[in-house]
Amino acid sequence: MSPTPAVEATGLVKTYPGGRGRPPVRALDGLDLTVPAGTVHGLLGPNGAGKTTTTKVLTTLSTASSGTARVAGHDVSREADAVRRAIGYVSQGTGADPLLTPRENLVMAARLRGAGRSAASERAEELLGRMGLHDEAGRRTGTLSGGTRRKLDVALGLVDAPRVLFLDEPTTGLDPEARASMWQEIRALAADDEVTVLLTTHYLEEADRLADAVSIIDHGRVVATGSPAALKAEIGGASLEDVYLHHAGRAWDAEAIR
Amino acid sequence: MSAAPVSVSAPPAAAARAPWPVQAGLVARRWIVDGFRLPWGLGVSVIQPVVWIVLFGNVFKAVTQVPGFGHTSYLTFLVPGILMMTMLYSGAWAGTGFIDDIRSGVMDRLLSSPVSRSALVAGQLVQQLLLSLIQGVVLLLIGWAAGARYAGGPTGMAIALVASLLLAAAFCSVSAAVALTARDQTALIGISTLVVLPATFLSTALMPVALLPHWVQATARYNPLTWATELARTAMSPSIDGRVVLTRGLLLLALAAVTYAWSVAAMRNYQRSL
Ligand SMILES: Nc1ncnc2c1ncn2[C@@H]1O[C@H](COP(=O)(O)OP(=O)(O)OP(=O)(O)O)[C@@H](O)[C@H]1O
Ligand SMILES: [Mg+2]
Repeated sequence: MSPTPAVEATGLVKTYPGGRGRPPVRALDGLDLTVPAGTVHGLLGPNGAGKTTTTKVLTTLSTASSGTARVAGHDVSREADAVRRAIGYVSQGTGADPLLTPRENLVMAARLRGAGRSAASERAEELLGRMGLHDEAGRRTGTLSGGTRRKLDVALGLVDAPRVLFLDEPTTGLDPEARASMWQEIRALAADDEVTVLLTTHYLEEADRLADAVSIIDHGRVVATGSPAALKAEIGGASLEDVYLHHAGRAWDAEAIR
Repeated sequence: MSAAPVSVSAPPAAAARAPWPVQAGLVARRWIVDGFRLPWGLGVSVIQPVVWIVLFGNVFKAVTQVPGFGHTSYLTFLVPGILMMTMLYSGAWAGTGFIDDIRSGVMDRLLSSPVSRSALVAGQLVQQLLLSLIQGVVLLLIGWAAGARYAGGPTGMAIALVASLLLAAAFCSVSAAVALTARDQTALIGISTLVVLPATFLSTALMPVALLPHWVQATARYNPLTWATELARTAMSPSIDGRVVLTRGLLLLALAAVTYAWSVAAMRNYQRSL
Protein backbone atom coordinates (compact mmCIF):
# COMPACT_ATOMS: atom_id res chain seq x y z
CA MET A 1 0.00 0.00 0.00
CA SER A 2 1.38 3.36 -1.00
CA PRO A 3 1.89 5.91 1.77
CA THR A 4 -0.24 8.59 0.06
CA PRO A 5 -3.90 7.57 0.06
CA ALA A 6 -5.70 7.76 -3.28
CA VAL A 7 -8.53 9.67 -1.64
CA GLU A 8 -8.26 11.76 1.48
CA ALA A 9 -11.21 13.96 2.43
CA THR A 10 -11.55 15.95 5.62
CA GLY A 11 -14.61 17.74 6.91
CA LEU A 12 -16.41 17.98 3.58
CA VAL A 13 -19.54 20.11 3.74
CA LYS A 14 -21.82 20.70 0.78
CA THR A 15 -24.95 22.79 1.00
CA TYR A 16 -27.41 23.26 -1.83
CA PRO A 17 -29.77 26.22 -1.87
CA GLY A 18 -33.21 25.03 -0.75
CA GLY A 19 -35.09 27.33 -3.10
CA ARG A 20 -38.39 29.20 -2.63
CA GLY A 21 -37.72 30.22 0.96
CA ARG A 22 -36.90 26.69 2.08
CA PRO A 23 -33.74 26.22 4.15
CA PRO A 24 -30.59 25.06 2.35
CA VAL A 25 -30.02 21.30 1.99
CA ARG A 26 -26.93 20.08 3.81
CA ALA A 27 -26.00 17.18 1.52
CA LEU A 28 -22.59 16.67 3.15
CA ASP A 29 -22.15 17.49 6.80
CA GLY A 30 -18.49 17.11 7.71
CA LEU A 31 -17.61 13.98 5.81
CA ASP A 32 -14.21 12.33 6.33
CA LEU A 33 -12.96 9.59 4.03
CA THR A 34 -9.62 7.90 3.42
CA VAL A 35 -9.09 5.34 0.69
CA PRO A 36 -5.65 3.70 0.44
CA ALA A 37 -4.24 3.45 -3.07
CA GLY A 38 -4.92 0.25 -4.95
CA THR A 39 -7.98 -0.75 -2.91
CA VAL A 40 -11.68 -1.06 -3.67
CA HIS A 41 -13.76 1.06 -1.34
CA GLY A 42 -17.53 0.81 -1.09
CA LEU A 43 -19.81 3.72 -0.26
CA LEU A 44 -23.09 2.56 1.26
CA GLY A 45 -26.02 4.46 2.64
CA PRO A 46 -29.72 5.21 2.21
CA ASN A 47 -31.13 7.29 -0.66
CA GLY A 48 -30.21 10.91 -0.21
CA ALA A 49 -27.40 10.12 2.23
CA GLY A 50 -24.85 12.04 0.18
CA LYS A 51 -23.01 9.31 -1.73
CA THR A 52 -23.39 10.93 -5.15
CA THR A 53 -22.56 14.33 -3.71
CA THR A 54 -19.34 12.89 -2.23
CA THR A 55 -18.43 11.44 -5.62
CA LYS A 56 -19.15 14.72 -7.38
CA VAL A 57 -16.93 16.67 -5.03
CA LEU A 58 -14.09 14.15 -5.31
CA THR A 59 -14.28 14.13 -9.13
CA THR A 60 -14.13 17.96 -9.22
CA LEU A 61 -17.58 18.09 -10.78
CA SER A 62 -18.89 20.14 -7.89
CA THR A 63 -17.14 22.21 -5.29
CA ALA A 64 -17.48 21.62 -1.56
CA SER A 65 -18.79 24.48 0.55
CA SER A 66 -16.01 23.74 3.03
CA GLY A 67 -13.51 21.05 3.88
CA THR A 68 -10.62 19.71 1.84
CA ALA A 69 -10.06 16.71 -0.36
CA ARG A 70 -7.07 15.27 -2.16
CA VAL A 71 -7.42 12.73 -4.94
CA ALA A 72 -4.37 10.98 -6.41
CA GLY A 73 -2.24 13.40 -4.43
CA HIS A 74 -3.85 16.57 -5.79
CA ASP A 75 -6.18 19.04 -4.14
CA VAL A 76 -9.61 18.86 -5.79
CA SER A 77 -10.23 22.59 -5.76
CA ARG A 78 -6.75 24.04 -6.29
CA GLU A 79 -5.45 21.38 -8.70
CA ALA A 80 -8.69 20.34 -10.34
CA ASP A 81 -7.07 19.78 -13.71
CA ALA A 82 -4.44 17.42 -12.31
CA VAL A 83 -7.19 15.48 -10.54
CA ARG A 84 -9.21 15.26 -13.74
CA ARG A 85 -6.24 13.78 -15.60
CA ALA A 86 -5.85 11.08 -12.98
CA ILE A 87 -9.43 9.90 -12.60
CA GLY A 88 -12.29 8.23 -14.39
CA TYR A 89 -15.87 8.95 -13.41
CA VAL A 90 -18.94 6.86 -14.11
CA SER A 91 -21.86 8.92 -12.90
CA GLN A 92 -25.20 7.66 -11.63
CA GLY A 93 -26.78 8.77 -14.92
CA THR A 94 -25.47 7.76 -18.31
CA GLY A 95 -22.46 9.50 -19.76
CA ALA A 96 -22.62 8.49 -23.41
CA ASP A 97 -24.00 10.43 -26.37
CA PRO A 98 -27.14 8.50 -27.40
CA LEU A 99 -26.76 9.44 -31.08
CA LEU A 100 -23.22 8.11 -31.37
CA THR A 101 -22.28 4.44 -31.37
CA PRO A 102 -20.35 2.96 -28.42
CA ARG A 103 -17.24 2.88 -30.60
CA GLU A 104 -17.62 6.54 -31.59
CA ASN A 105 -18.22 7.53 -27.97
CA LEU A 106 -15.04 5.77 -26.86
CA VAL A 107 -12.91 7.13 -29.69
CA MET A 108 -14.08 10.67 -29.03
CA ALA A 109 -13.43 10.36 -25.29
CA ALA A 110 -9.94 9.02 -25.93
CA ARG A 111 -9.12 11.71 -28.47
CA LEU A 112 -10.37 14.51 -26.22
CA ARG A 113 -7.85 13.31 -23.69
CA GLY A 114 -5.04 13.56 -26.18
CA ALA A 115 -4.85 10.18 -27.93
CA GLY A 116 -4.07 10.24 -31.63
CA ARG A 117 -6.44 8.82 -34.20
CA SER A 118 -5.04 5.29 -34.29
CA ALA A 119 -4.25 5.11 -30.58
CA ALA A 120 -7.82 6.16 -29.85
CA SER A 121 -9.35 3.46 -32.04
CA GLU A 122 -7.04 0.85 -30.57
CA ARG A 123 -8.05 1.92 -27.12
CA ALA A 124 -11.72 1.81 -28.08
CA GLU A 125 -11.42 -1.74 -29.44
CA GLU A 126 -9.55 -2.82 -26.34
CA LEU A 127 -12.27 -1.50 -24.05
CA LEU A 128 -15.10 -2.82 -26.23
CA GLY A 129 -13.52 -6.26 -25.90
CA ARG A 130 -12.92 -5.93 -22.23
CA MET A 131 -16.52 -4.93 -21.52
CA GLY A 132 -17.96 -7.45 -23.97
CA LEU A 133 -19.45 -4.78 -26.19
CA HIS A 134 -18.16 -5.89 -29.59
CA ASP A 135 -21.56 -6.95 -30.89
CA GLU A 136 -23.16 -3.62 -30.06
CA ALA A 137 -20.17 -1.43 -30.93
CA GLY A 138 -21.66 -0.11 -34.16
CA ARG A 139 -25.23 0.52 -33.03
CA ARG A 140 -26.55 3.83 -31.80
CA THR A 141 -26.08 4.02 -28.05
CA GLY A 142 -29.63 5.32 -27.57
CA THR A 143 -31.06 2.08 -28.94
CA LEU A 144 -29.09 -0.20 -26.60
CA SER A 145 -30.44 -1.85 -23.47
CA GLY A 146 -29.86 -0.17 -20.12
CA GLY A 147 -27.35 -2.76 -19.01
CA THR A 148 -25.35 -2.52 -22.23
CA ARG A 149 -25.24 1.25 -21.86
CA ARG A 150 -24.02 0.84 -18.30
CA LYS A 151 -21.12 -1.27 -19.54
CA LEU A 152 -20.31 1.47 -22.04
CA ASP A 153 -20.37 4.04 -19.24
CA VAL A 154 -17.79 2.02 -17.34
CA ALA A 155 -15.69 1.65 -20.50
CA LEU A 156 -15.81 5.44 -20.93
CA GLY A 157 -14.58 5.85 -17.37
CA LEU A 158 -11.57 3.66 -18.17
CA VAL A 159 -10.64 5.35 -21.41
CA ASP A 160 -7.62 7.24 -20.12
CA ALA A 161 -6.21 4.56 -17.78
CA PRO A 162 -7.27 6.31 -14.58
CA ARG A 163 -5.41 5.85 -11.32
CA VAL A 164 -8.60 6.42 -9.35
CA LEU A 165 -11.93 5.26 -10.70
CA PHE A 166 -15.24 6.53 -9.33
CA LEU A 167 -18.21 4.29 -9.98
CA ASP A 168 -21.62 5.59 -8.89
CA GLU A 169 -23.93 2.55 -8.85
CA PRO A 170 -22.20 0.82 -11.79
CA THR A 171 -24.18 -2.41 -11.60
CA THR A 172 -27.68 -1.00 -11.34
CA GLY A 173 -29.69 -2.48 -14.20
CA LEU A 174 -27.24 -5.26 -15.02
CA ASP A 175 -28.40 -8.86 -15.33
CA PRO A 176 -26.84 -11.37 -12.88
CA GLU A 177 -24.26 -12.57 -15.39
CA ALA A 178 -23.23 -9.09 -16.45
CA ARG A 179 -23.03 -8.09 -12.81
CA ALA A 180 -20.75 -11.00 -12.02
CA SER A 181 -18.43 -10.13 -14.87
CA MET A 182 -18.46 -6.47 -13.84
CA TRP A 183 -17.35 -7.57 -10.38
CA GLN A 184 -14.57 -9.55 -11.96
CA GLU A 185 -13.50 -6.50 -13.95
CA ILE A 186 -13.49 -4.27 -10.91
CA ARG A 187 -11.43 -6.76 -8.93
CA ALA A 188 -9.01 -7.10 -11.84
CA LEU A 189 -8.64 -3.34 -12.08
CA ALA A 190 -7.54 -3.13 -8.48
CA ALA A 191 -5.45 -6.30 -8.45
CA ASP A 192 -3.69 -6.15 -11.83
CA ASP A 193 -3.72 -2.49 -12.74
CA GLU A 194 -3.44 -0.97 -9.27
CA VAL A 195 -6.43 1.24 -9.88
CA THR A 196 -8.14 2.57 -6.79
CA VAL A 197 -11.89 2.11 -7.06
CA LEU A 198 -14.46 4.10 -5.12
CA LEU A 199 -17.73 2.32 -5.62
CA THR A 200 -21.21 3.45 -4.64
CA THR A 201 -23.77 0.70 -4.35
CA HIS A 202 -27.05 -0.33 -2.79
CA TYR A 203 -26.18 -4.02 -3.14
CA LEU A 204 -24.67 -5.05 0.15
CA GLU A 205 -23.59 -8.38 -1.26
CA GLU A 206 -21.65 -6.50 -3.94
CA ALA A 207 -19.85 -4.41 -1.35
CA ASP A 208 -19.15 -7.48 0.77
CA ARG A 209 -17.60 -9.37 -2.15
CA LEU A 210 -15.72 -6.54 -3.80
CA ALA A 211 -14.66 -3.99 -1.27
CA ASP A 212 -11.54 -4.08 0.83
CA ALA A 213 -13.28 -1.53 3.03
CA VAL A 214 -16.64 0.19 3.11
CA SER A 215 -17.95 3.45 4.51
CA ILE A 216 -21.56 3.79 5.51
CA ILE A 217 -22.83 7.29 4.92
CA ASP A 218 -25.92 8.76 6.52
CA HIS A 219 -27.10 12.37 6.58
CA GLY A 220 -23.90 13.54 4.91
CA ARG A 221 -21.50 11.92 7.38
CA VAL A 222 -19.59 8.67 7.55
CA VAL A 223 -21.22 6.72 10.38
CA ALA A 224 -19.05 3.61 10.12
CA THR A 225 -15.96 2.62 8.18
CA GLY A 226 -13.74 -0.42 7.98
CA SER A 227 -13.35 -3.78 6.28
CA PRO A 228 -16.60 -5.75 5.99
CA ALA A 229 -15.17 -8.37 8.33
CA ALA A 230 -14.15 -5.85 10.97
CA LEU A 231 -17.49 -4.08 10.81
CA LYS A 232 -19.34 -7.33 11.23
CA ALA A 233 -17.14 -8.35 14.15
CA GLU A 234 -17.66 -4.97 15.81
CA ILE A 235 -21.40 -5.42 16.19
CA GLY A 236 -21.37 -9.19 16.30
CA GLY A 237 -23.47 -9.35 13.14
CA ALA A 238 -23.44 -12.13 10.61
CA SER A 239 -23.83 -10.05 7.44
CA LEU A 240 -23.11 -6.61 6.05
CA GLU A 241 -26.84 -6.10 6.12
CA ASP A 242 -26.79 -6.29 9.91
CA VAL A 243 -24.00 -3.73 9.91
CA TYR A 244 -25.88 -1.45 7.55
CA LEU A 245 -29.09 -1.60 9.57
CA HIS A 246 -27.21 -1.11 12.80
CA HIS A 247 -25.62 2.11 11.57
CA ALA A 248 -27.98 3.58 9.00
CA GLY A 249 -31.24 1.65 9.39
CA ARG A 250 -34.34 3.65 10.11
CA ALA A 251 -36.10 2.11 13.12
CA TRP A 252 -39.25 1.13 11.23
CA ASP A 253 -37.11 -0.24 8.42
CA ALA A 254 -35.11 -2.41 10.72
CA GLU A 255 -38.21 -3.77 12.38
CA ALA A 256 -39.85 -4.51 9.05
CA ILE A 257 -36.86 -6.41 7.73
CA ARG A 258 -36.20 -8.46 10.84
CA MET B 1 -16.22 -8.85 -20.65
CA SER B 2 -13.55 -11.12 -22.02
CA ALA B 3 -10.84 -12.59 -19.89
CA ALA B 4 -8.15 -11.09 -22.11
CA PRO B 5 -5.74 -9.41 -19.72
CA VAL B 6 -5.68 -5.91 -21.16
CA SER B 7 -3.76 -3.48 -19.07
CA VAL B 8 -5.45 -0.19 -18.33
CA SER B 9 -2.30 1.25 -16.87
CA ALA B 10 -0.83 1.75 -20.33
CA PRO B 11 -2.31 5.10 -21.29
CA PRO B 12 -3.13 5.68 -24.95
CA ALA B 13 -1.48 9.06 -24.98
CA ALA B 14 1.42 10.83 -23.42
CA ALA B 15 -0.49 14.11 -23.28
CA ALA B 16 -3.36 14.09 -20.80
CA ARG B 17 -5.41 16.18 -23.14
CA ALA B 18 -5.51 17.28 -26.75
CA PRO B 19 -4.51 20.82 -27.83
CA TRP B 20 -7.38 23.30 -27.73
CA PRO B 21 -8.12 23.43 -31.48
CA VAL B 22 -8.23 19.63 -31.61
CA GLN B 23 -10.63 19.54 -28.68
CA ALA B 24 -12.89 22.15 -30.24
CA GLY B 25 -12.73 20.28 -33.55
CA LEU B 26 -13.70 17.00 -31.90
CA VAL B 27 -16.60 18.66 -30.12
CA ALA B 28 -17.72 20.26 -33.39
CA ARG B 29 -17.50 16.92 -35.17
CA ARG B 30 -19.61 15.26 -32.54
CA TRP B 31 -22.39 17.85 -32.97
CA ILE B 32 -22.18 17.60 -36.76
CA VAL B 33 -22.56 13.81 -36.65
CA ASP B 34 -25.43 14.19 -34.16
CA GLY B 35 -27.01 16.73 -36.52
CA PHE B 36 -26.92 14.36 -39.48
CA ARG B 37 -28.50 11.63 -37.37
CA LEU B 38 -31.47 13.87 -36.68
CA PRO B 39 -32.53 14.37 -40.28
CA TRP B 40 -35.63 16.26 -39.23
CA GLY B 41 -33.72 19.15 -37.70
CA LEU B 42 -31.48 19.49 -40.73
CA GLY B 43 -34.33 19.42 -43.23
CA VAL B 44 -36.47 21.90 -41.33
CA SER B 45 -33.61 24.37 -40.96
CA VAL B 46 -33.22 24.51 -44.73
CA ILE B 47 -36.93 24.47 -45.58
CA GLN B 48 -37.84 27.23 -43.12
CA PRO B 49 -36.15 30.14 -44.97
CA VAL B 50 -37.63 28.92 -48.25
CA VAL B 51 -41.12 29.05 -46.75
CA TRP B 52 -40.44 32.57 -45.53
CA ILE B 53 -39.30 33.81 -48.93
CA VAL B 54 -42.46 32.48 -50.54
CA LEU B 55 -44.69 33.71 -47.73
CA PHE B 56 -43.31 37.18 -47.10
CA GLY B 57 -42.52 37.68 -50.79
CA ASN B 58 -46.20 37.27 -51.64
CA VAL B 59 -47.92 38.73 -48.59
CA PHE B 60 -45.95 41.97 -48.61
CA LYS B 61 -45.61 42.32 -52.38
CA ALA B 62 -47.87 45.36 -52.40
CA VAL B 63 -45.44 47.46 -50.35
CA THR B 64 -43.51 48.24 -53.50
CA GLN B 65 -46.46 50.39 -54.55
CA VAL B 66 -46.40 52.42 -51.31
CA PRO B 67 -44.74 55.81 -51.91
CA GLY B 68 -41.37 55.92 -50.20
CA PHE B 69 -40.53 52.24 -50.66
CA GLY B 70 -37.74 53.08 -53.05
CA HIS B 71 -36.85 49.55 -54.17
CA THR B 72 -38.03 48.07 -57.41
CA SER B 73 -38.24 44.43 -56.42
CA TYR B 74 -39.53 43.51 -52.99
CA LEU B 75 -37.83 40.13 -53.24
CA THR B 76 -34.43 41.70 -53.85
CA PHE B 77 -35.11 43.91 -50.84
CA LEU B 78 -36.40 41.00 -48.78
CA VAL B 79 -33.64 38.38 -49.23
CA PRO B 80 -31.05 40.06 -46.95
CA GLY B 81 -33.74 40.49 -44.29
CA ILE B 82 -34.86 36.86 -44.49
CA LEU B 83 -31.21 35.78 -44.42
CA MET B 84 -30.73 37.51 -41.07
CA MET B 85 -34.09 36.37 -39.70
CA THR B 86 -33.05 32.80 -40.43
CA MET B 87 -29.91 33.30 -38.35
CA LEU B 88 -32.04 34.56 -35.48
CA TYR B 89 -34.59 31.80 -35.54
CA SER B 90 -32.16 28.91 -35.86
CA GLY B 91 -29.68 30.50 -33.48
CA ALA B 92 -32.36 30.62 -30.83
CA TRP B 93 -32.34 26.81 -30.71
CA ALA B 94 -28.59 26.45 -30.43
CA GLY B 95 -28.63 25.95 -26.68
CA THR B 96 -30.91 22.91 -26.68
CA GLY B 97 -27.97 20.55 -27.24
CA PHE B 98 -26.45 21.63 -23.92
CA ILE B 99 -29.72 20.98 -22.12
CA ASP B 100 -29.82 17.46 -23.61
CA ASP B 101 -26.26 16.91 -22.40
CA ILE B 102 -27.11 18.12 -18.91
CA ARG B 103 -30.11 15.78 -18.78
CA SER B 104 -28.31 12.73 -20.14
CA GLY B 105 -25.22 13.02 -17.96
CA VAL B 106 -22.84 13.62 -20.88
CA MET B 107 -22.12 17.05 -19.41
CA ASP B 108 -21.12 15.55 -16.05
CA ARG B 109 -18.63 13.27 -17.75
CA LEU B 110 -17.15 16.06 -19.86
CA LEU B 111 -16.89 18.47 -16.95
CA SER B 112 -15.08 15.95 -14.75
CA SER B 113 -12.54 15.34 -17.53
CA PRO B 114 -9.66 17.67 -18.42
CA VAL B 115 -11.51 19.12 -21.40
CA SER B 116 -11.32 22.87 -21.90
CA ARG B 117 -14.64 24.52 -21.03
CA SER B 118 -14.27 27.05 -23.82
CA ALA B 119 -13.61 24.23 -26.33
CA LEU B 120 -16.94 22.68 -25.35
CA VAL B 121 -18.67 25.97 -26.14
CA ALA B 122 -16.60 26.87 -29.21
CA GLY B 123 -16.95 23.43 -30.79
CA GLN B 124 -20.71 23.56 -30.61
CA LEU B 125 -20.66 27.10 -32.02
CA VAL B 126 -18.56 25.96 -34.98
CA GLN B 127 -21.19 23.33 -35.82
CA GLN B 128 -23.97 25.92 -35.53
CA LEU B 129 -22.09 28.30 -37.82
CA LEU B 130 -21.56 25.60 -40.44
CA LEU B 131 -25.28 24.94 -40.39
CA SER B 132 -25.93 28.68 -40.66
CA LEU B 133 -23.62 28.93 -43.64
CA ILE B 134 -25.46 26.12 -45.43
CA GLN B 135 -28.76 27.82 -44.67
CA GLY B 136 -27.44 31.15 -45.94
CA VAL B 137 -26.16 29.73 -49.22
CA VAL B 138 -29.37 27.79 -49.85
CA LEU B 139 -31.38 30.90 -49.11
CA LEU B 140 -29.43 33.07 -51.56
CA LEU B 141 -29.85 30.41 -54.25
CA ILE B 142 -33.58 30.05 -53.67
CA GLY B 143 -33.93 33.84 -53.61
CA TRP B 144 -32.14 34.04 -56.95
CA ALA B 145 -34.33 31.34 -58.43
CA ALA B 146 -37.42 33.21 -57.23
CA GLY B 147 -36.30 36.39 -58.99
CA ALA B 148 -34.15 38.36 -56.52
CA ARG B 149 -31.02 39.92 -58.04
CA TYR B 150 -27.73 40.54 -56.20
CA ALA B 151 -26.02 43.45 -57.97
CA GLY B 152 -23.08 43.24 -55.57
CA GLY B 153 -21.99 39.99 -57.20
CA PRO B 154 -20.00 37.21 -55.48
CA THR B 155 -18.13 39.72 -53.28
CA GLY B 156 -21.39 41.23 -52.08
CA MET B 157 -22.83 37.82 -51.38
CA ALA B 158 -19.71 36.77 -49.49
CA ILE B 159 -19.84 39.91 -47.36
CA ALA B 160 -23.53 39.31 -46.66
CA LEU B 161 -22.81 35.73 -45.60
CA VAL B 162 -20.01 36.82 -43.27
CA ALA B 163 -22.39 39.33 -41.68
CA SER B 164 -24.97 36.59 -41.29
CA LEU B 165 -22.41 34.37 -39.54
CA LEU B 166 -21.50 37.14 -37.10
CA LEU B 167 -25.17 37.59 -36.27
CA ALA B 168 -25.60 33.83 -35.96
CA ALA B 169 -22.57 33.61 -33.65
CA ALA B 170 -24.09 36.24 -31.40
CA PHE B 171 -27.51 34.60 -31.20
CA CYS B 172 -26.17 31.05 -30.81
CA SER B 173 -23.99 32.28 -27.97
CA VAL B 174 -26.90 33.98 -26.26
CA SER B 175 -28.96 30.82 -26.65
CA ALA B 176 -26.13 28.71 -25.20
CA ALA B 177 -25.71 31.10 -22.28
CA VAL B 178 -29.44 31.08 -21.53
CA ALA B 179 -29.58 27.29 -21.83
CA LEU B 180 -26.66 26.83 -19.43
CA THR B 181 -28.22 29.27 -16.99
CA ALA B 182 -31.88 28.21 -17.16
CA ARG B 183 -31.13 24.49 -17.84
CA ASP B 184 -34.65 23.97 -19.07
CA GLN B 185 -35.94 23.43 -22.59
CA THR B 186 -39.25 25.18 -21.99
CA ALA B 187 -37.57 28.22 -20.47
CA LEU B 188 -35.17 28.45 -23.41
CA ILE B 189 -37.96 28.29 -25.97
CA GLY B 190 -40.02 30.82 -24.01
CA ILE B 191 -37.18 33.30 -23.68
CA SER B 192 -36.20 32.88 -27.34
CA THR B 193 -39.72 33.53 -28.58
CA LEU B 194 -39.94 36.55 -26.32
CA VAL B 195 -36.81 38.03 -27.94
CA VAL B 196 -36.89 36.82 -31.51
CA LEU B 197 -40.36 37.86 -32.62
CA PRO B 198 -40.18 41.50 -31.44
CA ALA B 199 -36.62 41.71 -32.75
CA THR B 200 -37.90 40.78 -36.21
CA PHE B 201 -40.55 43.46 -36.32
CA LEU B 202 -38.46 46.14 -34.62
CA SER B 203 -35.98 45.96 -37.48
CA THR B 204 -35.68 46.79 -41.15
CA ALA B 205 -35.63 43.12 -42.14
CA LEU B 206 -39.10 43.19 -43.68
CA MET B 207 -39.79 46.93 -44.19
CA PRO B 208 -37.63 49.82 -45.34
CA VAL B 209 -36.87 52.19 -42.50
CA ALA B 210 -38.90 54.98 -44.10
CA LEU B 211 -42.11 52.98 -43.82
CA LEU B 212 -41.67 52.15 -40.14
CA PRO B 213 -43.44 54.18 -37.42
CA HIS B 214 -41.16 56.70 -35.70
CA TRP B 215 -40.74 54.84 -32.43
CA VAL B 216 -39.95 51.64 -34.32
CA GLN B 217 -37.38 53.51 -36.40
CA ALA B 218 -35.74 54.75 -33.21
CA THR B 219 -35.62 51.25 -31.72
CA ALA B 220 -34.56 49.51 -34.92
CA ARG B 221 -31.30 51.47 -34.99
CA TYR B 222 -30.09 49.56 -31.93
CA ASN B 223 -31.21 46.18 -33.19
CA PRO B 224 -28.40 43.84 -34.32
CA LEU B 225 -30.83 42.39 -36.85
CA THR B 226 -31.02 45.84 -38.47
CA TRP B 227 -27.23 46.19 -38.48
CA ALA B 228 -26.77 42.86 -40.22
CA THR B 229 -29.62 43.46 -42.66
CA GLU B 230 -28.35 46.92 -43.65
CA LEU B 231 -24.85 45.55 -44.10
CA ALA B 232 -26.05 42.74 -46.35
CA ARG B 233 -28.39 45.01 -48.27
CA THR B 234 -25.70 47.51 -49.20
CA ALA B 235 -23.19 44.73 -49.93
CA MET B 236 -25.55 43.15 -52.42
CA SER B 237 -26.71 46.45 -53.97
CA PRO B 238 -25.26 48.05 -57.12
CA SER B 239 -23.33 50.62 -55.07
CA ILE B 240 -21.81 49.27 -51.86
CA ASP B 241 -21.55 51.75 -48.97
CA GLY B 242 -18.19 50.97 -47.35
CA ARG B 243 -18.96 53.02 -44.26
CA VAL B 244 -22.10 51.00 -43.50
CA VAL B 245 -20.20 47.74 -44.02
CA LEU B 246 -17.41 48.81 -41.69
CA THR B 247 -19.49 50.29 -38.86
CA ARG B 248 -22.16 47.59 -38.83
CA GLY B 249 -19.49 44.92 -39.26
CA LEU B 250 -17.58 46.15 -36.23
CA LEU B 251 -20.75 46.36 -34.17
CA LEU B 252 -21.62 42.77 -35.08
CA LEU B 253 -18.09 41.57 -34.38
CA ALA B 254 -18.11 43.21 -30.95
CA LEU B 255 -21.51 41.71 -30.19
CA ALA B 256 -20.37 38.24 -31.24
CA ALA B 257 -17.25 38.53 -29.07
CA VAL B 258 -19.16 39.70 -25.99
CA THR B 259 -21.87 37.06 -26.30
CA TYR B 260 -19.28 34.32 -26.86
CA ALA B 261 -17.52 35.36 -23.67
CA TRP B 262 -20.88 35.27 -21.92
CA SER B 263 -21.56 31.71 -23.08
CA VAL B 264 -18.15 30.51 -21.86
CA ALA B 265 -18.78 32.22 -18.51
CA ALA B 266 -22.20 30.52 -18.37
CA MET B 267 -20.51 27.13 -18.83
CA ARG B 268 -18.17 27.84 -15.91
CA ASN B 269 -21.07 29.13 -13.80
CA TYR B 270 -23.01 26.01 -14.59
CA GLN B 271 -20.27 23.88 -13.09
CA ARG B 272 -19.96 26.19 -10.10
CA SER B 273 -23.63 25.66 -9.35
CA LEU B 274 -23.36 21.87 -9.22
N1 LIG C 1 -28.43 19.81 -7.22
C1 LIG C 1 -29.02 19.66 -6.03
N2 LIG C 1 -29.79 20.63 -5.52
C2 LIG C 1 -30.38 20.51 -4.31
N3 LIG C 1 -30.26 19.43 -3.54
C3 LIG C 1 -29.50 18.41 -3.98
C4 LIG C 1 -28.85 18.47 -5.24
N4 LIG C 1 -28.18 17.31 -5.43
C5 LIG C 1 -28.41 16.57 -4.33
N5 LIG C 1 -29.20 17.23 -3.45
C6 LIG C 1 -29.64 16.72 -2.12
O1 LIG C 1 -28.51 16.30 -1.40
C7 LIG C 1 -28.80 15.14 -0.66
C8 LIG C 1 -27.81 14.04 -1.01
O2 LIG C 1 -28.03 13.61 -2.35
P1 LIG C 1 -27.14 12.52 -3.07
O3 LIG C 1 -27.53 12.51 -4.49
O4 LIG C 1 -25.72 12.74 -2.75
O5 LIG C 1 -27.64 11.18 -2.36
P2 LIG C 1 -27.24 9.68 -2.65
O6 LIG C 1 -26.67 9.16 -1.39
O7 LIG C 1 -26.41 9.58 -3.86
O8 LIG C 1 -28.67 9.02 -2.89
P3 LIG C 1 -29.11 7.83 -3.88
O9 LIG C 1 -28.80 6.56 -3.18
O10 LIG C 1 -30.58 8.02 -4.00
O11 LIG C 1 -28.39 7.99 -5.17
C9 LIG C 1 -30.24 14.79 -0.96
O12 LIG C 1 -31.04 15.31 0.07
C10 LIG C 1 -30.53 15.50 -2.25
O13 LIG C 1 -31.88 15.87 -2.32
MG1 LIG D 1 -26.65 8.73 -5.72
